Amino acid sequence: MSYRNKNNAHNMRSVNFVCDAPQAQSVALVGDFNNWNAHSHPMKKQADGAWLLRPELKHGHHRYAYLVDGVMTLDPRAMGVTRNDKNERVALIAVS
Amino acid sequence: MKTPTVRRKASALRKRRASSGASAGKIHPVVIYPFRQSESYEDLRQLYAMVARLTDNPEIYARPITVVDRKTYYANAKNKHFADFRKNTVEVTSDILDAWCVDTCQMWYSGLGMAYERGGPNDVYWLIPGDFNYGSMVGHEVLSQLHDLPEICVELQQDVCIGEIATDHNNPKQIIDTYGTFALLYHWFPNQAREIREYTERPRSEFFAMRHAFLGEMLNRRWYAYEQTVVTLLYAVFDKKHISRFLVGHVSDLPEGRESVSSAMQQLDRTERVLKTLWRERNQSLPDWTKHYRVLESQSDQVRRTAMTILENLLS
Repeated sequence: MSYRNKNNAHNMRSVNFVCDAPQAQSVALVGDFNNWNAHSHPMKKQADGAWLLRPELKHGHHRYAYLVDGVMTLDPRAMGVTRNDKNERVALIAVS
Repeated sequence: MKTPTVRRKASALRKRRASSGASAGKIHPVVIYPFRQSESYEDLRQLYAMVARLTDNPEIYARPITVVDRKTYYANAKNKHFADFRKNTVEVTSDILDAWCVDTCQMWYSGLGMAYERGGPNDVYWLIPGDFNYGSMVGHEVLSQLHDLPEICVELQQDVCIGEIATDHNNPKQIIDTYGTFALLYHWFPNQAREIREYTERPRSEFFAMRHAFLGEMLNRRWYAYEQTVVTLLYAVFDKKHISRFLVGHVSDLPEGRESVSSAMQQLDRTERVLKTLWRERNQSLPDWTKHYRVLESQSDQVRRTAMTILENLLS
């Protein structure tokens, strides 16, 4: 799940990504914005077991997914669904 | 009304286009005027306030088109409010296409066809149904999000983006889709139905945007008078197009368009007829296709009857 904080200039916005995976050992955020790199956006485990990351993203629409223990996982609360260049189902978010 | 949001997003879209350096096409909004004119114009006023803001951004949006069924026009021939609203709001913000139409999908065909003839290879076409409760608080939110559909097509190079309305499980259209549309889809086109359901629970959504090339392909195929979104999604899957689905909010049809059991029955009949026809078109060159068709048709009758029994219990 994600929502938007409008607090930055230069068409960048801080966006909250929350992945509910209390049993996972590692969770990373991958998407168009990091070339689906499994290492550049690791998420941090919270006290309630959810994983959180607050990256800054450009205005516009982005494709993303969570890597839960290395497994590509669709955000069940995503605003949209599409496929990436590898034809995997991924989530969509609008940043404005 | 979310005027600042829409303006800010238009400004951001201009900046993204400028920085990309690509020759971005235009977005062509096509508004489908409600078949039955409501006594209150508040929903339409809010809708056309958004359309006016699109008209104010000609570098991004082509001049919007509004399709009006001639039957709607003549039914309101003595209605001064209708005439004034048409002249002072609809005509000012959009080009009106008056057409005699069999059903709503023919209004889409006429409007999208007219927009297509005005467009070019990089353009995107955006269908906006008029008969939703845009005057409500949730309607305002939807109007501030609808433009995501064509923008997703532009930015992510998608062939079609379907807008999905969030509804509860008891919403009549959702019930018809769950027990009727998908039951028939899984019967006639099981592989494609699975793929479609991975994107959307509402395969008959009236909110969508399409790229120029895909719209051209669809316009030149048989265009159905009803359930055209289902056909469009099937072709998108047949042809391995890039498909997206995006949430547009929590709007509902206006009361004039809500479902009765007889309406549900009619929708199921139409869906089955369209799927049968499409199946024959795609399979009639195969040997022994008639045998296979007869089996499917017989089973389809059972599927439709079962769906209708469920819908009668749920909607009565």
